[in-house]
Amino acid sequence: MRIKTARRMARLSILNVFFVLLCFITLIPILYAFLLSVSSDSSAFGNGFLFPKSPTLKNYKAILLEEPFLIWLKNSVVLSLGTMILAMGTSVTASYAFSRFRFRGRNEMLKLLLILNAFPQILSMFAIFRLFKNMNLLNNYIGLILIYAGSMCIFSIWNMKGYFDTIPIEIEESARIDGGSSGQIIWKIILPLARPSIIVTAVMVLIFVWNEYLFATTFLMKEENYNLAGGLYQLQANDYSRSWSLFSAAAILVSVPILILFFSIQKYMVSGLTTGGVKG
Amino acid sequence: MNKKNKILPWEYSFPSIILIGLIVVFPIIYTIYISFTNMNLYHWTDYEFIALDNYRRALTKLDSGFMSALLTTIIWTVLNMVIQILAAYLIALGLNAKGLKLARLYKTLLMFPWAMPAYISILLWRVGIFNPQYGLLNKIRSALGFSSMDFLSENIPAFISCMVLNLWMALPFLIMMMDGALQSVDISYYESARLDGGGWWAQNLYITIPSIKPILAPSIIMTTFTTFKQFDIIYLLTMQKGSLTGATLQTVITYAHQNAFVSNNYGLSSAVSIVIFGFIILFSLFVNRGIREEHV
Amino acid sequence: MKKMALVLCIAMTAAMFTGCSKNTDSVATTKGNKEALNTIRIWHDGDKAMIQLMEDHLNEALNDDGITVKFEQKSGLTDQIKLYGSDEVNGPDLYMYAHDSLGMFVEMGALAPITDVIDKTVYADMLPMTLKAGNYKDTQYLMPVYFETLLFIYNKDLWEGEVPSTTEELYSYMKYHTDATAGTYALVNQHSTAYNVAPLINGFGGFIINEQAKPGLNDEKTMEAIEYNKKFAKLEADGDYNTVNALFKDGKAAAIIGGPWLISGVKEAKINYGIISLCDFKLPNGNALVPYSGVQGIGVMKHAAETKKDALEKVLKEIADPQLGIDLAENSRCAPANQKAYENPTVSKDEMIAAMRKTADIAQPMPNIPQMSVMWGPTESLLAAVNKSGKDLNNVADEYQKQAETAIADMQ
Repeated sequence: MRIKTARRMARLSILNVFFVLLCFITLIPILYAFLLSVSSDSSAFGNGFLFPKSPTLKNYKAILLEEPFLIWLKNSVVLSLGTMILAMGTSVTASYAFSRFRFRGRNEMLKLLLILNAFPQILSMFAIFRLFKNMNLLNNYIGLILIYAGSMCIFSIWNMKGYFDTIPIEIEESARIDGGSSGQIIWKIILPLARPSIIVTAVMVLIFVWNEYLFATTFLMKEENYNLAGGLYQLQANDYSRSWSLFSAAAILVSVPILILFFSIQKYMVSGLTTGGVKG
Repeated sequence: MNKKNKILPWEYSFPSIILIGLIVVFPIIYTIYISFTNMNLYHWTDYEFIALDNYRRALTKLDSGFMSALLTTIIWTVLNMVIQILAAYLIALGLNAKGLKLARLYKTLLMFPWAMPAYISILLWRVGIFNPQYGLLNKIRSALGFSSMDFLSENIPAFISCMVLNLWMALPFLIMMMDGALQSVDISYYESARLDGGGWWAQNLYITIPSIKPILAPSIIMTTFTTFKQFDIIYLLTMQKGSLTGATLQTVITYAHQNAFVSNNYGLSSAVSIVIFGFIILFSLFVNRGIREEHV
Repeated sequence: MKKMALVLCIAMTAAMFTGCSKNTDSVATTKGNKEALNTIRIWHDGDKAMIQLMEDHLNEALNDDGITVKFEQKSGLTDQIKLYGSDEVNGPDLYMYAHDSLGMFVEMGALAPITDVIDKTVYADMLPMTLKAGNYKDTQYLMPVYFETLLFIYNKDLWEGEVPSTTEELYSYMKYHTDATAGTYALVNQHSTAYNVAPLINGFGGFIINEQAKPGLNDEKTMEAIEYNKKFAKLEADGDYNTVNALFKDGKAAAIIGGPWLISGVKEAKINYGIISLCDFKLPNGNALVPYSGVQGIGVMKHAAETKKDALEKVLKEIADPQLGIDLAENSRCAPANQKAYENPTVSKDEMIAAMRKTADIAQPMPNIPQMSVMWGPTESLLAAVNKSGKDLNNVADEYQKQAETAIADMQ
């Protein structure tokens, strides 16, 4: 037994070393951004990987106080949450339908969705612009949320359908016998069981919106309505005031909320299937 | 419940279909419509129907340049996907190892590349890693006594550079998906396998992979398309206006961009888009055939 | 679930309908509203501090007339104008941008000539070069505000001796003082950026595109210039904007060819710098270097020229005021388009502005024909192929010339 524990310990330490290394390699570019962001030097870009002589938080301060960072942050939150609700609200039911029912046109529809998704979204911009102009959805969060949710809808349906497929149908049937309605079954049984997949999909939608700048800067008229990525894009696109240390500070600041979110949702990522012990 | 419902599934998917119709289908139809007109700079508002003229011109663009772009795109997609799937699988397995206490922290850190807007990451890599003067790679090279090298000025190093960056940016998603899928594998299967004396390979081949395959197939298909369509990385890394690096790497999408979109001729570029969309459909039928046996 | 779906559908259809009706409403209200008629929205993509200065100046001057001017920054301004150029509700009334996209906007039908709004006498004092830049097909579309040209900026603490007056002497200086392995350079330049190579191309008598919209990439003179540029490029680092800037600001490069937009960063890096006009350098053929100039000008959107003519007239007159040019020169070190501004001693004494003013006499405004917009790509591809991938110019010039010709043909 002791030998076994020792071997397990050895295996775990190798794994730990591996992951520490992997994380370090992954984080190199971000480390670079971080080092730039705390340097006070205006030519910081050149010093790159050396720790700055006099580290400073002035860039963070400048971003938080001088740029409308907090407003952009709020906008990003509103847009992401709105999109998440709309995209998930529509696609959970749809992917449930595609996973559970065998109806005519199902396969064709699934394939069609896949093919539609292959159309490069950037080409759609002009058409959506024309459409939204007529619907007066320009310069409007509802319009943007529709675009984002629509863009992520196919992805969400497909992504969740795979997981729904693995949930044994017997569970549902027994619930149905107990007198549950379809809505209740989805809400009370399928959602908890498919939790990891739903969370992953929702996070994916959220990150998509968080990092999107092209539609945001094109469809919104005022800088103070931009989301974070859009605001930053504007900041960066302006050659005249391009400041690397400021820019990388902003880049770090944009990523932090996503990381916090990611860290905190992980305990919910465990499947309802394995914890519930229904399967098998 | 299968037989009684012909309408219910459509009701369930109706909101999605409306949304997709509005944001995805309508633009495609509109693009087709524009592709039959002469909408361009000189006919911005007074464009008219010119039938298939744009398509005739679009087809002339399918020359050797396009074919090599297509080939590059296919190599790009295949290489990226193979490496991504393998790497993500192994990493996810490691993260799920029993007793790895810091797994949550590792996972979070590994997600960092994903949490950053794409253009920021690409810019960071261009100046922080690949820059011939200041980039990390060249700092390492010069520390080892090599001369500095411009990684983005020749096609093959540029292709590899783009690929490394793409892996960096795209792996977090697949790791996350694999990790989620691995959570769903019933532990009891492993226990019985262990009793049967199955080794690591056998466990993976006969239990883990078959169990997660149906869950992952859709996300892998999705990622394949995203990889095929990838534009930002190659464009921003090697051919952004004012920062051309000298590499002439083209994928289908960058080729279309360079050959049709800069011209502000919406009619022509719409026709080119539709033709390329046709190619993507062909490609997707091909991918579809590959996975049909196990899925759908 | 059913209910939820239904509610969503209804909500969405409702949103569409209210959307449609709102659209027509808002146009009607804008038309009737006097305040809206006196609010002028200007889109720009310029420096914040400078724009703030302009906005304050204009609003102060126009306060009595009850006119408010609002500057709104747009990144990717060209694309935005394409979409919103004729959008009365969301689009701007005026735009301020570099003049090279002018032809495109005119052909799209987005702009009205400024002569629809103001009299010719208003812009009589502007430098001829800046007027030419804002003139497309013999019609004046832009009211020039200030202009930019490339400059030779050098570090006085690093440069040894006098700055030479010919490019050949410059080259020998560079050869002697550049040590790429140590990372120190005599002169750096964005050697594969069309704008930065234009001084050579124009100086050699070549052209990127001529007035008949014919690309000149395989023109003999252009090729001569590109070949000449190549030998400099070898000594000018990788030519990336970020690299060359950092080199100069770090004191690793003794000089840089760059625009006035670099100066604030150079100052911050505490470089003891001097500035020389590019036309002070003579090429082997005896000509001076002839840089492109970029003129920041204000154009009038067609719809605004019809509905807001009176307010626009006052705004444009105020923009032509030499005092605005002086303010811009003093605070943001812009080279004003108005010649009268140079009578002010602070303006004429400013080293950088003086250098640009001097360059203005021979600088060529960037071509403003729409075809120019597709020329940057092929030109820079050619430069990168020659300078970075080591391709032989004779082999690739025709290829990129053809690419440029196709791109121009594709516009129609």
